[in-house]
Amino acid sequence: MKLLHASTLRLSLFAAAIMAFWAVLFYYAIIAEINDETDDSLENYAETIMMRSLGGEELPSRSEGTNNQFFMTEVSDDYARTHPHVFYEDRNVYIAEKKEFEPARVLTHVFQTEQGTWMMLEVSTPTIEKLDLVEAIFVSMVLLYSVLLVCIVLTNYWGTRRSMRPLYKLLNWVNHYTPGRKNAALDNPTKIEEFMQLNEVVTSALKRSEDLHEMQKQFVGNASHEMQTPLAICIGRLEMLMEDDAITEQQMVEVVKVHRTLKNLSKMNRSLLLLCKIEGGHFENKVMIHFDELLSTIVPDYEMVFEHKNITTEVVCTQPFKLSMEESLATTLVTNLLKNAYVHNVAGGRVRIVLTERTLRFENTGIDAPLHPTEIFTRFYHTPGKKASTGLGLPIVQAICQLYELNIRYAFERGMHVFELSKDVLGPDGR
Amino acid sequence: MKILVIEDDNELREIISRSLTAERYVVETAVTYREARQKALGYEYDCILLDIMLPDGNGLKILSEMKRNDKDVNVIILSAKDSLDDKVEGLNLGADDYLPKPFHLAELHARIKSVLRRKQRDGQQLLQFGNVVIHPESFKVEVAGKMIDLGRKEYDILVYFMIRPNRLVEKHIMAESVWGDYIDQADSFDFIYAQMKNLRKRLKEAGADIEIKTIYGFGYKLVQL
Repeated sequence: MKLLHASTLRLSLFAAAIMAFWAVLFYYAIIAEINDETDDSLENYAETIMMRSLGGEELPSRSEGTNNQFFMTEVSDDYARTHPHVFYEDRNVYIAEKKEFEPARVLTHVFQTEQGTWMMLEVSTPTIEKLDLVEAIFVSMVLLYSVLLVCIVLTNYWGTRRSMRPLYKLLNWVNHYTPGRKNAALDNPTKIEEFMQLNEVVTSALKRSEDLHEMQKQFVGNASHEMQTPLAICIGRLEMLMEDDAITEQQMVEVVKVHRTLKNLSKMNRSLLLLCKIEGGHFENKVMIHFDELLSTIVPDYEMVFEHKNITTEVVCTQPFKLSMEESLATTLVTNLLKNAYVHNVAGGRVRIVLTERTLRFENTGIDAPLHPTEIFTRFYHTPGKKASTGLGLPIVQAICQLYELNIRYAFERGMHVFELSKDVLGPDGR
Repeated sequence: MKILVIEDDNELREIISRSLTAERYVVETAVTYREARQKALGYEYDCILLDIMLPDGNGLKILSEMKRNDKDVNVIILSAKDSLDDKVEGLNLGADDYLPKPFHLAELHARIKSVLRRKQRDGQQLLQFGNVVIHPESFKVEVAGKMIDLGRKEYDILVYFMIRPNRLVEKHIMAESVWGDYIDQADSFDFIYAQMKNLRKRLKEAGADIEIKTIYGFGYKLVQL
């Protein structure tokens, strides 16, 4: 939910509650005021009638066209004792002229004549219809609320956009920030203290993570680098031992095994260094690589090496895939993907390479289940049972793709494992 | 043949020296930049193995100084860095080859032999062992005076062995050198056997007096009969 929407929603809910509360208060205040006025006039009316009645004057006609009514009757002593002498109430009264019931304010007066008889006078005046009042108040409230809401939304939209501008600028900057790359400095001048702090905090946090990233990269690079000489020594000593005629065949087998392990270690080391160098952006020379030509030199070697597996290889070039990049990295990219396609293949399987203008696709048969689409690109991920791999082939492919802004996607389609490189710019979610 | 080994790591220097001495080279060593500079400029060598990262200076500086002084020596750079810039700079400064660490001694020998041969024959790089001669510029192979035809990989394999005669060559290393790094995960080496079988057959039919022998089932050696 956007900040704008959230604050608008909250403000409108709050306003709705306040207005509802206020509407109720307003209603009761109005009603109280009206009752007060009505009661006063009823009082006067009742007094007039009582005075006339007690004075023996003629009583006024029933309603005088005002719908005011009175009704006088004699009551017993008991009734007078048990009922209050002045009593106001709201109730429906039958209006004879209109021949219908209408809501009215009714004042009941019980009084004693000079003769000592108790009389009850009931005067009533039709009141406004409360339902109508409620409705009118409700309608104006709703109207007021909508006008207020529109005002709130507009003010909020304008205000948020204006005062939150530094925030959006900062967000945009962070979104476009790629660690390990050259990034433009944050240019976000603001007078708002919180945003000034936020700017500072975000830049320093990013700088810290950048430093850590750099340190980590350097560490991996240095560690791999420092291992090269000791590895060279071990391998050299073993090779001298292998040249020695005095060692037995049994010993030779062991030496060769150690030698092979060391070689794998050294290869892994070199792959790590390569990865560090790619991520460090050490490759700046670019030539136009025609991948169809590159493939035609490399694929036959693979076919020969994996001849025993009877893998059929098919290269489909609808349009040549071309990219300007470092030559050695192009070879690494293709060999790593091809190696992947062959090594994880099954006997009698297929490898299919499809080139179009914007995509380069490697498809291969293999285990009959999809691989984890992101795990396979993490360093030192091994397919179960394939221990011989360095676990760096695909991470290197990914690093090269990132360097040249290619997208790489893995999918399992119709029983084939598919790795597709494309020049299309995808969103961060990969679509 | 006199070789100067400039390497600050004691063990690596010892291994290189020992292995070169075993090949009947005369070996001199230098540990620091100062010592190396002094020896390289003051004496004559047939080949210098130069580690460019020395504790008290950059080995590339020695190279440029030698170039300024018109010293014509074969230099092979040994570097733990495997960086393209170093390689390009080194080769521009007149180095003959660049060998990233860790390397195989067999590879080192082959490179030394190759640069020495280039010097001796003034560019004419013939590879000869027994009655087999390879003309690398024209990719031609001559057995007992007659040209024979070899497949591309067969030729590569033969060249690999001809640079390393009488040396035990490990199957994996040879395959990697001929087919490239990516064969490291091949789970079968049938493709090597097939090529080797053809190559041997061709050599034998042409009457070569050299033979690629299988050693213990994990490697080969090119020997003269």
